[in-house]
Amino acid sequence: MSQRGLQSTRGFHRNYIKKYYEDAHKAKAEKKPLAWVTSTFPIETLLAMDIVPIWPENYASVCAARQASVELCERAEREGFSRDLCSYSRCVLGSMFGGEKDLPEGGLPKPDFLVTTTCACDTHLKWFQVASRLYKAPLFLLDVPYNISGADSLNLEKAHVDFYVSQSEELFSFLEEQTGTRLDNKRLREVVALSNQTSQLWMEIQDYRRTIPCPMDARDAFSAVFFMLCIPGTHVALEFYTILRDEIRERVKNKVGVVENEKYRLIWDNLPLWFNLKIFEYLNSLGAVVVAETFSHVWAGSLDPSKPLESLARKYLVNFANSSVKRKIDMILNLAKDFNVNGIILPTNWGCRMMSIGETLVRDIVYKKLGISSLIIDVDSSDWRNYNEAQIKDRFETFFETLTRKQ
Amino acid sequence: MIIMEVLQAFRNCLLSRHDVARGWKSQGRRVIGWTCTYTPEEVIYAADALPVMVFGDLSGMKFADAYLPSNSCSFARSCFNAALRGDYDYLDGFVESNSCDNRGKIFDMWAHYTKIPNIYFINTPHTNTEKAHQFFYEEVVKFKEWLQTTLNISISDQSLRKAIEVYNTNRLLLKKVYDLRMKHPPLISGTEALEISLSSTVTPKEEHNKLLNRLLNEISNRSDTPRQGVRLLVTGSVMDNTELIKIIEEVGGNVVADDWCTGSRYFWNLVDLGSEPLRAIASRYLDKIPSSFMYHHEERFKHVVEIAKRYDVEAAIVFVLKFCDTHMFDAPLLRDELKALGLPVLYLEWEHSMSGIAGLKTRIEAFLEMVGGVK
Repeated sequence: MSQRGLQSTRGFHRNYIKKYYEDAHKAKAEKKPLAWVTSTFPIETLLAMDIVPIWPENYASVCAARQASVELCERAEREGFSRDLCSYSRCVLGSMFGGEKDLPEGGLPKPDFLVTTTCACDTHLKWFQVASRLYKAPLFLLDVPYNISGADSLNLEKAHVDFYVSQSEELFSFLEEQTGTRLDNKRLREVVALSNQTSQLWMEIQDYRRTIPCPMDARDAFSAVFFMLCIPGTHVALEFYTILRDEIRERVKNKVGVVENEKYRLIWDNLPLWFNLKIFEYLNSLGAVVVAETFSHVWAGSLDPSKPLESLARKYLVNFANSSVKRKIDMILNLAKDFNVNGIILPTNWGCRMMSIGETLVRDIVYKKLGISSLIIDVDSSDWRNYNEAQIKDRFETFFETLTRKQ
Repeated sequence: MIIMEVLQAFRNCLLSRHDVARGWKSQGRRVIGWTCTYTPEEVIYAADALPVMVFGDLSGMKFADAYLPSNSCSFARSCFNAALRGDYDYLDGFVESNSCDNRGKIFDMWAHYTKIPNIYFINTPHTNTEKAHQFFYEEVVKFKEWLQTTLNISISDQSLRKAIEVYNTNRLLLKKVYDLRMKHPPLISGTEALEISLSSTVTPKEEHNKLLNRLLNEISNRSDTPRQGVRLLVTGSVMDNTELIKIIEEVGGNVVADDWCTGSRYFWNLVDLGSEPLRAIASRYLDKIPSSFMYHHEERFKHVVEIAKRYDVEAAIVFVLKFCDTHMFDAPLLRDELKALGLPVLYLEWEHSMSGIAGLKTRIEAFLEMVGGVK
């Protein structure tokens, strides 16, 4: 039996994302401390200090889904920011330059301060430097070494973990200075424990997607991953993932899949086309289903509440944004075997070097080791000006023909 | 005329850089390539190896295009292209550095697709706090150990001190050469200045020092100084070729000051010999005028403002190399800083290829006419 969308993700935007921004505006009005943050920053440290984290990258994806991102990108370009820059950053900078009336979700509340890390990319630092200058709000940088050996979390270089953990002193004294409150270590351990539970539950959900037919598609996964990124370590995240897990488990029990006769089981790398999530339905119509996204799996990692900082370091340092391409290749090789995959989609991201460079290497090595083909498509997650739907569909269809011939 | 010969000698260092490196190898010595000016070259020099900066060229990317996407840094792509073509087959090792999002991932590409053995990565922090200094010092120690193992050689404190001395001399002499550009008209052109600083990155430093001394001794006799033109400051990330500066000078500009990582930022700061050599070297790199990937990037803006005044410039061109993210973010801010000084500013995006720069000539010409008209 096939059934595309899940019950628990229905109304996701209205129930969770819209609310996230409403709460943020409310917190701002109540003068609660509010920080802008980027992905791969140990957001748990903010939650432990009751700081409201605002995640502009999510905002950009929301703007793209609402077809509002290009206009905002253009505003940033008019101020001199190159069209080749990360479309998330252009979109958010653009939202800062214009009037706030027409912005989706009422725009982003101004931060009291900003925190970022070099863990995912230098673009985060550069983008936040500009934002910090424009808003005259202080910026903290967690300086992270690059995991060049591609080691996993247990085998990271000690110097890398030590350098990361040693900066917690500066981080907390910065946060204490900004908020006027002291860190409660007990509370930090609680948040980390909760984040760990959230993450385990999320991985359990992902594991169910090994099943044939696959019970969950990329469109739902790219919505639901929101909690892993924006507010891990909260009860609302845990509650949502529990409901989602139960629904998926039920589907697996009843053999309900997204696509009835699965012809192609795919891995999807990097980001989706936020402005065109319908592409996944189109793939379904061709008998294809995305059974795993590297983006969903990259946030796995267990946290030890008795060593909050060290386990956060170990979780984030191995993110493939911060690691040798080898690490992503290892992940894809494992996923391909465990999830019965027969094709890999590697979308690059025009404004993103670390998502674009190395995809040929992924393609070549995965093919050599497993004989599984990859399709590299040159796109941008949030700026559709160079997007040609007919061409992309053509590439998918040709790719599937090749896969069929191989079978 | 002797002065023309000396200037030609610098040009030759660039033109024959692969031959020089191969010549060095034929004496049984090693050559290590590097590509970011945060690489502590002194340590390579102390290992009796020749450190050479890896450049690209403007001839196209036909080898690299098969592996690197068109939205990756065009300088990095061009270097990779040269390596795939075999230009750098003589290297005994190649050093990358964590100084932008391109480099980390491109490290894997070099390791997998080129024939060059011993690819190494230095983790460069993005801050210069006390902890970052300690971390980077340990990175430099590891780098020394890697060189010792890879080249089967031992690096003594004495040879490190000697390297620091030679490198500091080179930096001081280069600064003196740059001082020649303070004159009206400048005593050397922008193209010549770039040939001189660039050649320092590929020439054995002691030989380069000799050439610099000869130049400084002879320069006062120069009769054919560059003609008077609009005094310009140029700024950007890396500039590994002189074509763009030639274009500017052909249409009436005098490039008298620069802020390239291969120009003033390459030699502006010295190693302070006060402490243990490796620690002194590590500190020099972390505390130098920062590149745009650093947390304290605004110190570079200060440097640019300072040199704009020091060299008495009348206008500035902000160059943005395609897909160089960290500079693309800085460029609008730096443009505003320069405008605040009352300088006309031209903002130019360029792609690292001949066809990428040919189209810029008209815009530069129009800008210089506009600036000249204002004068």
